[in-house]
Amino acid sequence: MKVKAKEKDGIVKVKVLAKHQNIGPEEAEKKKKEANFITSVVAKVGDKVVYEMNGSGFMSKNPLYKFKFKGAKKGDELEVTWTDLKGNTKTKKVKIK
Amino acid sequence: MDRRKFLGLGLAALAIVPMTKLNATDFRKEKPDAWKATTPEDAIKALYGDAKAEEKGVKIKAPKLAENGGKIPVVVKSDIDAKSVALLQDSNPRSLVAVWTIPEGGIVDFSVTMKMKKSGKITAIVEGKDGKLYSKVLPIEVSKGGCGG
Repeated sequence: MKVKAKEKDGIVKVKVLAKHQNIGPEEAEKKKKEANFITSVVAKVGDKVVYEMNGSGFMSKNPLYKFKFKGAKKGDELEVTWTDLKGNTKTKKVKIK
Repeated sequence: MDRRKFLGLGLAALAIVPMTKLNATDFRKEKPDAWKATTPEDAIKALYGDAKAEEKGVKIKAPKLAENGGKIPVVVKSDIDAKSVALLQDSNPRSLVAVWTIPEGGIVDFSVTMKMKKSGKITAIVEGKDGKLYSKVLPIEVSKGGCGG
């Protein structure tokens, strides 16, 4: 997972590139693979949740998520976590630039 | 159990505990029917009930003609003070693509990359803090299907 976070004028812009096959049930049948996709992406600064998404199998392979939020400054640590259908999780921490 | 594995398990457990508390609303658990709905109408009903959505205040940015249905960049934007936002389409076997819970002070400006099997309509629904629903529908054309088809 790649995460980039940049603050400008009080607004933090974030890009998250997750590495995941994101195979929905129909695709899984065709490709004879197990269905598995990212079901949730959560980003936090400290204890504060700044982004929260629930997704389905219709996100693309290696999905790119972009979002903006207020209330953080340069140097703060942003923590991004995704969870998939099987319960695997991955977390990445970056400093806001 | 060897020490290495034991340590690994401990770390895994630590990682899971805060995760469960993290989500304010887990839409996948709370609204399971919405994820099974085959039309946007049914999915919206399962998510938000019978309320009618007004068509204003919401913007969708997506290519008019998507060459690769496997990776379509879609941006949802709105200035409405929102509780949650849902993204749907009508060309895949099931309709709901994503639901966002908007945290305090959050900005509705989300971009994702989604898959579409064929040409169809993208719908974005914004649930305002005033309890009303706002929507936007955008038709797009897909030249190559992206759902393994």
